[in-house]
Amino acid sequence: MKLLKDYCLYICIVSFLFVQFSCKEEVSSPQVKHELPAIFPDYTEVTIPPSIAPLNFKVEGIYTKIDAVIEGNTSGSLHVQGDDFIAIKPKAWKQLLADNIGGSLKVTVSVKHVDGWVQYDPFNIYISTYPIDYGLTYRLIAPGYEVYSKMGIYQRNLSDFTQTALLENTLIPGNCMNCHSFCMANPEKMSLHIRGEYGATLLLNDGEASLLNTKTDQTISSCVYPYWHPSGKYIAYSVNDTKQVFHEVKDERVEVLDLKSDIVVYHIETNQLFSTPLLKSENAFETYPSFSPDGRTMYFCTADVKPLPEEYQQLRYSLCSIAFNPETGTFGNQVDTLVSAAKSGKSVSHPRPSYDGKYLMYTLADYGNFLVWHKEADLWLLDLATGETRELSEVNSKDADSYHCWSSNSRWFVFGSRRIDGLYTHPYIASVREDGSITKPFLLPQETPLYYEASLYSFNVPEFITEPVKMNISEVESKLLSKERKQMIYR
Amino acid sequence: MKNKQMRYASWSLSLLFALGAFVFFAGYYCYHLVYQEQFQLFMFSFDYLAQTTHKPGGFAEYISRFLVQYFYTPWLGGLIITLLLSIMQRQVLSISLKVADKPAYIPLTFIPSLFYWFLLCDEHYMVAGIVALVLVLAAVQMYNTIRPAVLRIVYVLLMIPLLYLLAGGTCIVFALLCVLLEILKKEIDTRKILFFVVGCILLMLCAPLVAKAILPQYPLSKLWVGVDYYRLQQLFPSTIWFLWILIVCIPLFFRLLPDVQKTKHSFIWIGIQIVLLVLLSGYGISLRADWQKEEVMAYDYLIRKQRWAEVVEMADKKAPSTPLSVAFLNLALCKQGLMADKMFHYYQNGSEGLLPTFIRDFAMPMMAGEIYYHTGFVNTAQRFAFEAMEGIPDFQKSGRAVKRLAETNIINGEYTVAVKYLRMLQQTVYYKRWATQALAVIQDENEIELIPEWAELRRYRTKTDFLFSEEEKDQMLGILLQQDYTNRIAYEYLMAYCLLTKDLSSFFNYYPLGKEIQYRQIPKSYQEALIYLWGLTNKDLSAIPYLIHPEVMQRVQEYGKIYATYQKSEPMLGTQFSDTYWFYLHFRK
Repeated sequence: MKLLKDYCLYICIVSFLFVQFSCKEEVSSPQVKHELPAIFPDYTEVTIPPSIAPLNFKVEGIYTKIDAVIEGNTSGSLHVQGDDFIAIKPKAWKQLLADNIGGSLKVTVSVKHVDGWVQYDPFNIYISTYPIDYGLTYRLIAPGYEVYSKMGIYQRNLSDFTQTALLENTLIPGNCMNCHSFCMANPEKMSLHIRGEYGATLLLNDGEASLLNTKTDQTISSCVYPYWHPSGKYIAYSVNDTKQVFHEVKDERVEVLDLKSDIVVYHIETNQLFSTPLLKSENAFETYPSFSPDGRTMYFCTADVKPLPEEYQQLRYSLCSIAFNPETGTFGNQVDTLVSAAKSGKSVSHPRPSYDGKYLMYTLADYGNFLVWHKEADLWLLDLATGETRELSEVNSKDADSYHCWSSNSRWFVFGSRRIDGLYTHPYIASVREDGSITKPFLLPQETPLYYEASLYSFNVPEFITEPVKMNISEVESKLLSKERKQMIYR
Repeated sequence: MKNKQMRYASWSLSLLFALGAFVFFAGYYCYHLVYQEQFQLFMFSFDYLAQTTHKPGGFAEYISRFLVQYFYTPWLGGLIITLLLSIMQRQVLSISLKVADKPAYIPLTFIPSLFYWFLLCDEHYMVAGIVALVLVLAAVQMYNTIRPAVLRIVYVLLMIPLLYLLAGGTCIVFALLCVLLEILKKEIDTRKILFFVVGCILLMLCAPLVAKAILPQYPLSKLWVGVDYYRLQQLFPSTIWFLWILIVCIPLFFRLLPDVQKTKHSFIWIGIQIVLLVLLSGYGISLRADWQKEEVMAYDYLIRKQRWAEVVEMADKKAPSTPLSVAFLNLALCKQGLMADKMFHYYQNGSEGLLPTFIRDFAMPMMAGEIYYHTGFVNTAQRFAFEAMEGIPDFQKSGRAVKRLAETNIINGEYTVAVKYLRMLQQTVYYKRWATQALAVIQDENEIELIPEWAELRRYRTKTDFLFSEEEKDQMLGILLQQDYTNRIAYEYLMAYCLLTKDLSSFFNYYPLGKEIQYRQIPKSYQEALIYLWGLTNKDLSAIPYLIHPEVMQRVQEYGKIYATYQKSEPMLGTQFSDTYWFYLHFRK
C-alpha cells in the first residue's frame, strides 16, 4: 500500500513538472502595441505556396518568451510558444495550410519582457492556390573573391527543411563547381560545371551522367552560363574570358568583367557546338543566353566592346533576341533589341522567360553584367505580349536583387537578394498573380530563423526542380577521377 | 615497473623530456604554434560541435581545435604540446611495460613523441594527429586492464568502430597493438587468434566503407584516414605511416630485446640510449625546424599585436631578409615614425618588401593583409582576410580573419554583416571580449569615432573609387594622399615605393606633397635621394636648394669617390654605406 502511495506521489510530482514545463504560458494582460511585430524573417503579409515548410520566425530584440497564435480564416489554428523563436510543428502546419488554401492565416505575436507581455497587431500570411515545385537547388559558397573554401551544390525540399548535397568539393579536394542548370526544372536534365584539376561539365541527361570537355579551339573558354532548350536537345552556353577587379571605395567590393564573351549552342545528340557570327561578334560581348518556351527564340545580353578594366563603368548590356530553328539548329539573320542599353542608360543581365511565355524577367543595374555585386541591381519584368517593361518594386530592395528562376508552372519565381546584410545572398520566393502583379517575397524558411545570421554561405543560382535529383555520387566520383572526358566538337 | 629506482628514473626522464619540449615550444618555436591558431575558429556552440564531429575522427579534431585555440597565448601552446607529447610517451611506456617489464628500455618509449615533436616543427602538421593517438593509446591501456580474454576480444571488436568514429583511421594503431598484445599474451589458442585477427581486419576494412555509404561526399581515401594529420588535404605524408608502425613496434622491441635489467650495466645501457636520444633530438630538430619561417611568424605575431617597437628591436638583433618580414619591418618603422629615416639601415627587398603582391594562398594574404590594413587599403585588407580564410585547406574558418572582416566592415559602415562576424567571435575564448566591446560600440557612430584606429582609417580611406592594381601601387597611394595630405603613412609609403623601385623622377615629383606633414628636417633617406638627384645634373652639391645634413653631404662625397674610383666597389661601400639609399640604388635589385 505504501508502495502504491509512493508511486502516486511520484506520478503527481512528474505530472506537475510536466505541466509546468510543457504547457504554454498564458499571455495575460498584454500591453497592446498597434504595430506589426519586427519579425525575422519578415513573413508579414507574404503569399506562400500551400506546400511550403513552416515559416519559423523570431522577433527582433530581447525577450524571455515568444508566443504566436496562428488562425486560419477557414478553419484551424495553432498556438506556438518558444524561448527564442517560433518553431511550428510541421505536421500541424501542413494541415493548417491544407485547410486554408486560397485563404489566409492571421498571426498574432506576443513577446514577454521582464515587465510583462507585449502583443502586436496581427499580420496575415496568404496561402496561394498555385502549387510550387518540389524544391530548389543552389550553390552554397562564401561570397569571396578568387579563393573558395568548402562549397557545394545542394537540393532543398521546399515542403520541409531537408537539404542534401548533390556535389560537394570535399569529394574532389581543390575543385569547385558552378552554373548548375535544369531543363525547365526537370531534375533528370542537368548541366553543371566542375572546375579544377578534375574539371569537366557534368551532363545529366535523362538521369545518365556523362562528363564533357567543353573547351574547343574555336571557343574562347570552356562553356559557362547555361540554359536548356525546352526540347532538352540543346543547351545554350556563353563562353567567357572573365576577370575580377576590386574596388577600394567602401560601398563597392568586386567587379566581374568579361574581357571577351560569345554564345554557343550545344547539340547533345551529335555532341556538337555551333553558333552564328551574330553571337560571336568581335565588336560585342554576348552573354547570358536563354530560350523562349516555344524554343524558337534565343534571348541574350550584348554590349559593345570596351577597353577593360579602364571603361568598366561604361559597359552596358542590352537585352536582345534572335530567332532559332530547333529542327535545323540554325539561327535567324537578325538581332532584335528588346531593352536598349543606349536608351535606358542601364545594363541588362540574366534574362529568363517564364515557361508560360508571358513574361521575361531580367536584372537591371547601372553597368556591368555580374550584378550580384551591384547594390543597385534590381529585377525587372518584360511583358512579352505588350513589350512593356517595369521594375518589380514589389520585390526589389536597396541591395542587390539578382539571379532569378521561374517555377515550372511560371507562378513562382525565386531570386537571390543581399537585403539582409548587404553581402550574403539569400533566396526569396514570390508569386505572380493572374494580372501580372507580384506578391511580397518571403525568405526561404529554415528550421531555425537564426540560421541566416550564423551562416557564412551565399545561396547562388537558386533553381527550381520538380523532383529530387537522382545522381550516383560514387559513379560521378570515379568518372571525375578517371579524367576521361567527352570532347565537344565545334561545327 | 617493480624497481623503485627505475620508476624514479622513468619519471625523471619524462620530466626532463617535458621540460625540453616546453622550453623548445614555448621558448624557441612558439610562433609556429601561434601560427596554427589563426587557421581555425573554435566556437562553443552545438552547431560547431556537430559540424566538426560528423565525420570519422571528428571528435579528435574537435578536441584538438579546442586545445589549439589556446595557442593564441604562445607559452600556453607550448604547455599543451608538451602535455600531449608527454602523455603519449607515458602511454607508450605503460603499454610497453605490460608487454615486458624491461625498464632498461624506457628511453625507447620517447621515440614516438620525439618523432611527433619533429613533425610539429612543420606548421602543416596538425595537433589532431597526436590527440587521435592519445585517444587510441588510452583505449589500448584500457584493453590492458581487462583480464578475461573473451572480454578483451569483445572489447577490441566493439572499440574498433567506436575508435574509428572518434579518432578516424588512427584506430589501426589500436587494432594492431591489441592483436600484437593478444598474441604475446598467449592466453588463447591460434585458431581463436586467427578469428580475432580476421575480425579486426574486417572491421578496419568495413568502417570506412560504411562511412562512405553515409558520407558519400568524401573520397574513400579521406575516410580511411579520418583525422587531418596534415593541413594540405591532398597529402597524407608517409611519415604518418612510419609513426603508426613505430608506436606498434616499441612494445614489440620490449619483448624482443634482451633483458639487461639483471646485469650490472643496466644504467650504462640506459645512459647510452639517452645519449642517442639526445643526439637524435638534436639531429631531428636541426633537420625539421625552419627558423626562417619562425622568424617570419614572429614578425607576423608582433605586427598582429601592433607591438611596433618590438618589431624594430627584433630587426636590430637580426635584420630580416624575406620580403614579408622586410615588409613587416617597414610597417613597424612607419608606425614608429622611423621609416623615412631608417628604412635603408636594414636590408630592403624591393617593392615586395613594402606592399606584397597577392598570391592564392591561405598564409600569405593573412599576414600581408595587416600591411594593407594599416596603410589604409581597407577593402584590400578585407579581401586578403577573406581570401586567406577561404584558402585554408581543411575548410576551417579563422578567428584572426573573422576579426579583420568584422573590423573592416565596421570601418566601412557595413554593420549588419559585421554583427554576423562579431556574434561568431562571441562564441570563442580569445575574441569574445573584443567582439562584445565592438558590438556595444557599433550601436553608436560617435563611439566608433572614439576608437583611434578605426577613426584614423575612416579618415584616410579613399572617398573616390578606384580599382586595386598590383602594378600601380604608387598611383593608389597617390590617390590616398591626394585626399588628405596629412596622411603620413600614405606619403611615406609612396616615397618608399618610388625609392625601392628606383623611380627617382616620380620620387622627385611626389616629394613636395609631403610639406603638410611638417617634418622637422628632411628624412634621411629623402635627403640621400635628393642629393643623389642633384648630383646627377649639378657639380656643386652645396648649392642644393634643400636642407641637407652635413653628415649626409660628407658621406655622399665619400661614397661618390669610392664608387668612381673602384670598379668593384660594392664590398668596400657595403662596409661603410650599406645604410644609405645610394648603396641600395646601386647594388640591390
